[in-house]
Amino acid sequence: MDRRQLIKWLKEPLKMSNKYSLHVVYFCTGCGIIEIPPSITARWDAERFGVKPVATPRQANLFLITGYVSLKTLKPIIRTYEQMPAPKYTVAFGSCPIDGGMYWDSYNTINHLDKYIPIDGYIAGCMPRPEAVFAGITHLWTLIDEGKADGYKKYRRNYSQYRSNQERLYGELGWPPRFETEGLENE
Amino acid sequence: MSSIEEKITANFDGIEVRKIEEGRIEVKTKKEALLSTLNFLKDEGYGHLGLVSCVDRIEEGIFELVYILSRYLVGGEVAVDQASLIVKTEVPRGNPTLVTSVKVFETAEPYERELHEMFGIVFSGHPRLTPLFLERDIDLPPMRKDFDTRKYVEEEFESIPPVED
Amino acid sequence: MEIISEKKKGGSSRELELYFGPQHLGMIGNFSITLNVRGDRIVRAEANPGYLHRGFEKLMEGRSWIQNFPLVCRVNVIEPGSMEMVYSTAVENLAGVKVPPRGKYIRCIYLELSRIASHLFGLWAYSKTLGFETVGGWAMYHRDLILDLFEELTGGRVYNIYIWPGGVRRDLPEGFEERTKDVLHEIGEKVPDYNQTFFENRLFHERARGVGVVSREEAMNTGGTGQVLRATGLEYDIRKVEPYGVYDEIDWDVPTREDGDAYSRIMVVRDEMIESVHAIFKLFDKLPGGPVYNKIPNPFKWNIPEGETYVRLESSRGELGLYLASDGGRKPYRAHFRTPSYPHGLTILEKALAGESISDTGNIMISLYVTAPEIDR
Ligand code: SF4
Repeated sequence: MDRRQLIKWLKEPLKMSNKYSLHVVYFCTGCGIIEIPPSITARWDAERFGVKPVATPRQANLFLITGYVSLKTLKPIIRTYEQMPAPKYTVAFGSCPIDGGMYWDSYNTINHLDKYIPIDGYIAGCMPRPEAVFAGITHLWTLIDEGKADGYKKYRRNYSQYRSNQERLYGELGWPPRFETEGLENE
Repeated sequence: MSSIEEKITANFDGIEVRKIEEGRIEVKTKKEALLSTLNFLKDEGYGHLGLVSCVDRIEEGIFELVYILSRYLVGGEVAVDQASLIVKTEVPRGNPTLVTSVKVFETAEPYERELHEMFGIVFSGHPRLTPLFLERDIDLPPMRKDFDTRKYVEEEFESIPPVED
Repeated sequence: MEIISEKKKGGSSRELELYFGPQHLGMIGNFSITLNVRGDRIVRAEANPGYLHRGFEKLMEGRSWIQNFPLVCRVNVIEPGSMEMVYSTAVENLAGVKVPPRGKYIRCIYLELSRIASHLFGLWAYSKTLGFETVGGWAMYHRDLILDLFEELTGGRVYNIYIWPGGVRRDLPEGFEERTKDVLHEIGEKVPDYNQTFFENRLFHERARGVGVVSREEAMNTGGTGQVLRATGLEYDIRKVEPYGVYDEIDWDVPTREDGDAYSRIMVVRDEMIESVHAIFKLFDKLPGGPVYNKIPNPFKWNIPEGETYVRLESSRGELGLYLASDGGRKPYRAHFRTPSYPHGLTILEKALAGESISDTGNIMISLYVTAPEIDR
């Protein structure tokens, strides 16, 4: 460990440990998931980067949204996202979550995922190769270092906007309950 | 032994049987005679219902229901090079009701559920016609030809504003 | 997400409703099952698909015949090859395009390679569910070797779009045959290890024998095909029943087992992989020369004559069919996929789960090879 790293660790231990232990929610949302098993097994070995799938969203801090999001999947995504403890990061895979990709005219997939939950980064490609996944992860490190991966703060700040977008799709969302947003705007 | 085409025409009146390509025989039947035809074919050994589909012939104002039947076994042996049957029937687009074939073929259950959701066809006697794939109600069943998915996307998804910080 | 709601039922034992998936460690794919349990026995199970529904069949009506290829291969993520094949064959049937012999052979080689890749993926999922992470790691690595071959062949790892109306997109590159054989030898050398660690392991036997039994009658009544039927001793394989490609020109066997339980299905998968490896060697031996595709008309102005067709073939999961209708225009009029997981996941799974223990849910589901994107389309 060189000195700069050591200083960083001493200064901001929480941030550093977050950065190097990205635990992924186990949720296969779209066809990009097919590149995850190769990435987490021997050949590509995501654990080199501290990336590891975990069982429940309560233990996770990274949400990989692997591909297109249908209306029925978006609901569990919102629920899962809200269950994750902060700080949490979301990375979306492929062109589908960006603007709909090849399903831009489908009646059952939403086109812009960042209207409903905040996204910290996108990995381009249809579908992204394991190398691209790792490039995305290491880039996420840089973003965390610079304090730019702050989607969860954005979500809190603009909670009412996100919530109203979500409710435009589903009508009344019963669960998760609406949070009190008073006094959170400036946090 | 007479061929299946001859057997069908001998047993039912007003049924059209025609070979459409190698190994595929089309059987056109009336809506009322559908169940008895399927029953008859099942007894003839066509026990494998591969697919229940529907084609929206909007110009003629009908839904064309398509049942694809084939055989698993012929005389206890695996059926080799046997023709599949494409059984068709029509229901009017205005009043799309049909009796369910679940009692004849158990496999039809999810297929009919899907067709109910995607085309709005009502299968009377079906055990559960609950939604299968869709999360929200769409006014017009989406697989019908007059449902414009691009317009729907414009109206429902593109109109939602981006979140501004 | 596991949310438990309690329902009082008559008597002292309570029936609980347990949501299995979509976000669940035991779930492979985006699928969910609602289990009604008493104690740890499943009383009733209800499959709840639709998380991956994209409305392919509607989208296909809005795109031209050629533009549909990228869509079609995404119907089944795990084995896109057979999807390309079924759609190409249907288009060829409607348009009356023929395939040259070399094209047919290369298609079959490609299909068998993707069958092995798909089975290896299934083996990963299955062994992981039973806790054999090592075996899963090997399977994933071996699948990756095959994906490398695909990458060399087409440029894509997963979605290749190699099969094309009229043949295949391009000829095999130089030395491809040797490299394929090397990969197959490498996998073949590992088979004793797989056997020792997994297929002959007592743990696997105890977890899988007698679990999730689907009898032959049941399978035939509910539209079962593929391993589900072959695990009950019936040699039903579309490659034999209605040969396509060049499967009738080489000599190969249909592996079967007798018991119809999870164990038999997984063993059928294992034997099929070995059979496919042999088949690829035989296909290479007979590979003729000549062109690999026949010219098709300009795809942007391609009107296909009115008609309809139903094509079926054997994917790695069972009978895959496509009903395709044309009205003489540039776009399909109607397409409907008959995917093997549809009856397996919606009818057979619900029946097979009843009476089993909760911990076997993933075990049964994966041994039936239920693939969510295929069901939802
Ligand atoms: S970007 Fe491509 S690979 Fe990813 S979900 Fe969309 S279609 Fe699938």
